[in-house]
Amino acid sequence: MDAKVSILSVRGVTKRFGGITANRGITFDVAAGELVGIIGPNGAGKSTLFECISGFYAPDEGEVELDGTRLTGLSPDLVCRRGIARTFQRLRPFQGMTVAENVMVGALTRTRDVRHAREQAHEWLRRVGLLEKANAHARTLSTGQRKRLELARALATQPRVVLLDEVTGGVDQRSIPALVELVRELHAGGLTLLVIEHNMRVVTAVAQRIVALHMGEVIADGTPDAVARSPKVVEAYLGQAYVS
Amino acid sequence: MRVVNFAHGEFLMLGMYAAFWAFTLLHADPYLTLVAAVPLFLAVGWGSYALVMRPIVHTSHNVQVFTTVGLSIVLQNLALVLWSADARFVRTSYYASVINLGGAVLNLAQAVAFVLAVAATAALFAFMRFSYTGKLMRATAQDRSAAMLMGIDTDRVYALTWAVGIACVGAAGVLLAPIYPVYPTAGLQFVLIAYIAVVLGGLGDMVGALIAALIVAAVEVVGSYTIGTSWKELLYLLLFIAILVVRPAGLFGQRGSEALGM
Amino acid sequence: MRPYAGAIAFFAAVGLAPLVVDDAFLLDTLVLILVWGCAAGAWNIAGGYAGQISLGHSAFFGLGAYAAALCGVRWNISPWYGLAIGAAVATAAGAVIGFLSNRLRGPYFVIATIAVSQVLLLGAARWRGFTAGSEGIPVPFRAGFWTLGIADKRIWVWIVLVLALAVYLVQLYLERSRRGFQLAAVREDEDAALSLGVRARRLKVAAIAASAALTAVCGALWAQYIGFVDPLYVFSVDLSVRFSLAAIIGGLGTALGPFLGAVLVTTVETWLRAEFGGLGSHLVGLYLILYGTALILMVRYAPQGLMGWMRK
Repeated sequence: MDAKVSILSVRGVTKRFGGITANRGITFDVAAGELVGIIGPNGAGKSTLFECISGFYAPDEGEVELDGTRLTGLSPDLVCRRGIARTFQRLRPFQGMTVAENVMVGALTRTRDVRHAREQAHEWLRRVGLLEKANAHARTLSTGQRKRLELARALATQPRVVLLDEVTGGVDQRSIPALVELVRELHAGGLTLLVIEHNMRVVTAVAQRIVALHMGEVIADGTPDAVARSPKVVEAYLGQAYVS
Repeated sequence: MRVVNFAHGEFLMLGMYAAFWAFTLLHADPYLTLVAAVPLFLAVGWGSYALVMRPIVHTSHNVQVFTTVGLSIVLQNLALVLWSADARFVRTSYYASVINLGGAVLNLAQAVAFVLAVAATAALFAFMRFSYTGKLMRATAQDRSAAMLMGIDTDRVYALTWAVGIACVGAAGVLLAPIYPVYPTAGLQFVLIAYIAVVLGGLGDMVGALIAALIVAAVEVVGSYTIGTSWKELLYLLLFIAILVVRPAGLFGQRGSEALGM
Repeated sequence: MRPYAGAIAFFAAVGLAPLVVDDAFLLDTLVLILVWGCAAGAWNIAGGYAGQISLGHSAFFGLGAYAAALCGVRWNISPWYGLAIGAAVATAAGAVIGFLSNRLRGPYFVIATIAVSQVLLLGAARWRGFTAGSEGIPVPFRAGFWTLGIADKRIWVWIVLVLALAVYLVQLYLERSRRGFQLAAVREDEDAALSLGVRARRLKVAAIAASAALTAVCGALWAQYIGFVDPLYVFSVDLSVRFSLAAIIGGLGTALGPFLGAVLVTTVETWLRAEFGGLGSHLVGLYLILYGTALILMVRYAPQGLMGWMRK
């Protein structure tokens, strides 16, 4: 029996900004434990979708549900407490705090005890490989380390689903495999992930399923192979001339 | 520039004092002083930018707020130390003259100030809209990084923007000198109205600010007729707070810009 | 214990001073240092810890001052009630400003706070029936602890010292507690904090309300001490700036900073006033020019204030 339990469902999400429709009728499901990649050219609406799911924007139409609970239009902090955590494309560490304190902010959403939160923070830092930097100031970290910090911080909120926004963006080539491995480990541990990625090699390596966006709409939804061969996807990325 | 100048009122006050001293020492009519005031305050603007603003243009909001607040304190008290707190008056020969406009009696100085202010706003608007420099200023305001990449010297644009702003408010001070008493803290009452007009009109929208200023003036006058002159300031302050609560972007502003602190 | 050495030294020195100092002028300066230190510390809760810079805190100070004065003059009850009433009203006003802080950011929030304090100033100055208008209210001196009619300045030092300790401890709480961490996150990056489940809006309002209540208590005590409430002073923008000045010079977002800043600001001011006061009252403006310049320079080059300098 292969009953895939849908944990996150996005139904007909539409978001307009003045004359531009950034998201149009976006619909897909994410099963528990799945890792879904979101791809699409610049301006396709990927980040807008994340903002709609995480509560920073309220969609003009459509619904977002987590395990049956309606998330549409809830404020971002409520969305997080219900179980969705996210990272940001433009990294946002709390500069004035240490690495451990950054993660503690996430942990404190689930526990009231500061000491307990500190222990949890250290545990998460260990899992993402940043433990030795625990007492360093967040602003001293390299880009790759900041990505890990952002991940640990989000994970400390004990989410059901994690939205990763361009986790390899801006990271040097040599550090990418380690980051990808980390994402794979977390996924293997049972985490449900939604990943925006530009790097096709990364996406095809980790994603079980890919949802492709173009001009605000879903143009493909399937296994990495199927999506890569879809004519619509080829056209969107490379232009009409490449569609054989 | 995305900087709120908390010393704005103090430059107005300096304009008023400039008119006063020119009138007292040189017997120069304020409208004559006005001509000299514009280049003078452009220079003052440029100087204050170089000395005070340039180092902090790219820092956080808090730093900018306190820098201009500090500037405001310095200028106010400089005026206090140099010229004392006594209220000064520019009593021109036409001080009490009125003109009759179809039944309405207007104070001449106020009417002239109004006409000149509208003309200056129109000129500024045209400058921003149609001149090359104006386009540079608007481009830099919209996207500093892009402007820099296009080869625009953003520092000079900011210096010019700042200087033009100071020149305007200095000139405004000169125009107001014949009408209002001049003292070191005179700036506050005017600058509060200015903030209200700008926020009501919508941040970054000049025409909006003009319309809003007229609205504020209308409210003030209507208020003073209906509930008495001593309460009229209260009225437009409450109006201000009400706007901030209901529609912080102002009448013509972009929704959400106030939440970005822009 | 070591990180608290500075605080322990400060509060011990202040607490013991009245036992060795007899000079009324010095004791008076000490009381003022404490009052401004408390006000700066209260401001710091909103401005330093919550990152909500306000230049309208005189609104709360004035509310407290008037509450105490009116208790004595109008309602004939103990000014201690004034502390409570002032704090309650200020908390409500703080909630209003907190609401505004969730709609405006940066300089526009600052302008809004100024507007609120000016509304109160005008209200107090014009509402003759209630507040005796712009003449202000002389606070009656009725000897006794319950009526806060205390002639002995040494006791005043200790009374305000209790408030100072409370303000210090509240700030300390904000450095160590769960709420404090979350508030710091909101201050650094509100959106990132929201994405982590922090109730940013609620926390900001709570911080501002707490700040307001404590500022009002300062105002109430000050009114009783000085004996006169002038609306043009007590609701002024200058006063609001003074609170923030002491906090910034001392160290924004540190628990002891506001008190150190108040020491510096008050002593310089008192000394300059003594030196130049006779030459002509307008020369008193000199120390404010000094402050303005100090503010401009500090905020750019020494943002950590005195505490930052001491930590080196």
